[in-house]
Amino acid sequence: MDFRETDEQQMLREAVDGIASKYGHSYFAGRARSGGNTDELWNELAEGGFLGVNVPAEYGGGGMGIAELAIVLEQLATNGCPLLLLVVSPAICATIIAHFGSTAQKESWLPRFGSGELKMAFAITEPDAGSNSHKIATTATRDGDIWRLNGTKYYISGADESEAVLVVTRTGVDEDTGRGRLSLFLVDLDSAGLDKTLIPVEIVAPEKQFTLFFDNVEVPADRLLGTEGDGLRQVFVGLNPERIMTAAMASGIGRYALEKAAAYARDRSVWGTPIARHQGISHPLAKAKIEVELARLMCQKAAWACDSDADPGVAGEAANMAKYAAAEAALGALDQAIQTHGGNGMSSEYGLADMWGMARLMRTAPVSREMILNFVAQHSLHLPKSY
Amino acid sequence: MNVVVCVKQIPDPAVPGTLDPQTHTLVREGKLIMDDSDAYGVEMGLQLAEAAGGGEVTLVSMAPAGETSGLRTALAMGAAKAILVSDDALKGSDALSTAKVLAKAIERAQPDLVIAATESTDGYTGTTPVQVAELLGFPSVTFAKKVSVGDGRVHVERQTEAGYDEVDCPLPALVTVTAGVVEPRYPSFKGIMAAKSKPVDQLTVADLGLDAGQVGAAGARSEVTDVTAADERKAGEIVVDEGEGHQNIVAFLEQLKLV
Ligand SMILES: Cc1cc2nc3c(=O)[nH]c(=O)nc-3n(C[C@H](O)[C@H](O)[C@H](O)COP(=O)(O)OP(=O)(O)OC[C@H]3O[C@@H](n4cnc5c(N)ncnc54)[C@H](O)[C@@H]3O)c2cc1C
Repeated sequence: MDFRETDEQQMLREAVDGIASKYGHSYFAGRARSGGNTDELWNELAEGGFLGVNVPAEYGGGGMGIAELAIVLEQLATNGCPLLLLVVSPAICATIIAHFGSTAQKESWLPRFGSGELKMAFAITEPDAGSNSHKIATTATRDGDIWRLNGTKYYISGADESEAVLVVTRTGVDEDTGRGRLSLFLVDLDSAGLDKTLIPVEIVAPEKQFTLFFDNVEVPADRLLGTEGDGLRQVFVGLNPERIMTAAMASGIGRYALEKAAAYARDRSVWGTPIARHQGISHPLAKAKIEVELARLMCQKAAWACDSDADPGVAGEAANMAKYAAAEAALGALDQAIQTHGGNGMSSEYGLADMWGMARLMRTAPVSREMILNFVAQHSLHLPKSY
Repeated sequence: MNVVVCVKQIPDPAVPGTLDPQTHTLVREGKLIMDDSDAYGVEMGLQLAEAAGGGEVTLVSMAPAGETSGLRTALAMGAAKAILVSDDALKGSDALSTAKVLAKAIERAQPDLVIAATESTDGYTGTTPVQVAELLGFPSVTFAKKVSVGDGRVHVERQTEAGYDEVDCPLPALVTVTAGVVEPRYPSFKGIMAAKSKPVDQLTVADLGLDAGQVGAAGARSEVTDVTAADERKAGEIVVDEGEGHQNIVAFLEQLKLV
């Protein structure tokens, strides 16, 4: 066993760190507050090939895996720029297309993820189907050589800046189980009959959230992704990467907070000695550091399992555990960083309190803390299912 | 055009370094990284090779224990290959013995232009590059803040205290560049992935046709006899502004000859 990252992974970290540090959290927060986007950062990452590190090389990508994409996002978050769309666009959407897309679909979509031209949103959540994907009610119905989509999706990140959205729909019912048979579609966001409304949220992030209304949206047959009715299995291929990326982003936020807190604690003195000398300050920071590092380790394990031919059960369990641990660690670290800063912890200038919404989000999305605990209870501990 | 860039691999400056109590030299254990000040030279070399419409950048480095981590960074930026001289006999080298080794290694690449930093971040002697030039029989131009090449000559804007000198000399030549010369690129992901498969030619002192007695501690002409800690930085002077604060500031700047 060897816990060192490869030379390439270390250089990747350094390169992304170099780019992200030029922008930093004030850029990120500034754009979020002004309602702007982070195109300059996004484009510079694309130029270096960092947005498509996991896209297969034959489609112009870096040919590596989620481990590398997670490094990109972790380093961005470590510099105070947690770009949510990296979770959705290259991690979920590109992964699913690379696995299940037809040759024509792969050729038309995949190269543009890495080049930065294409952002793709992902829509699974519905007002009546969040934690329970079996209740998805958005339908796709065949009508000659097209499909018609009807229904509502909500909390769809980046629907305003994306060209298309990968939509999880119901195309039938399994006779044995009575559950919906799901199918995936790639839908242009400017399609007729597709409306979006902004959901105001208390998260300081440039990406916005939307409700999408599908009213008889016509989708060409070649936009069906993978096999009709096999959508649930297919979408899961993208959900481990989603959890791993969320864990990486949370770990990065944790590191961001701890770095700021340690610097402040070394510098600030209230009783003639730096506050870092008070164990009431240093111990909680040390504890938060341990928790962040443990979460990173599980995140690396999950990414490795996801990218290798390890038993899929290993990847699923590790991805869930990593996401849980990293979200909790990020919140703990951020909370203690704010506390370490005294009143300054709440200021805009120090860039901590405004990260709260982002860190807090990760306890709920993309899969809630409770659903992970359900999973671990059931699958890892073989306890009875509670719902 | 073939450009050689000298790349020093040094202990991470962010980690507090230690000195060997016997030799007073920097302890170089563990992973070394590319000296930041060499990133400018690598970038300059890449830009000049690109502008010349052909040729490539070869890195030359001398480092203990076959260390290539820092070279990989420069290869990821786009250099084509590297020559690494690593040999136990090189331990204790001073600037001149280092220059002898580098000059021998550089000769192998038959460069039109050699680029180095003005000085390294861990040693600061600032004498190695000009010694290399002398050993190679090349003209050298130091402190370049702008470099261009054309018609078999290199044209340099050379930073001075007052402004800059324009210096022009025939190739092959050696130029040392300042941190302001160009903005180093970040390696792209493709560059990072390609770096591993780029050739690094690892040579010993014998391979270079040098005698072990000429290099390392044995060949060193200088020796660090003692090291003393730098004075603690004195606390600044606090001037309370009672209406003439601006005069105090002007007087202070005048005393430093800044205005
Ligand atoms: C900012 C933001 C961005 C988002 N981006 C996207 C996106 O891009 N695409 C997308 O499809 N979705 C997105 N989501 C949606 C997100 O994935 C869901 O909100 C999340 O999965 C939870 O679903 P829900 O909101 O329906 O909660 P519910 O399922 O209604 O759950 C409510 C509460 O009940 C708990 N609960 C539910 N079932 C159980 C159980 N069996 N046992 C114990 N507790 C239970 C949950 O843990 C939760 O605490 C986003 C959400 C937010 C806030």
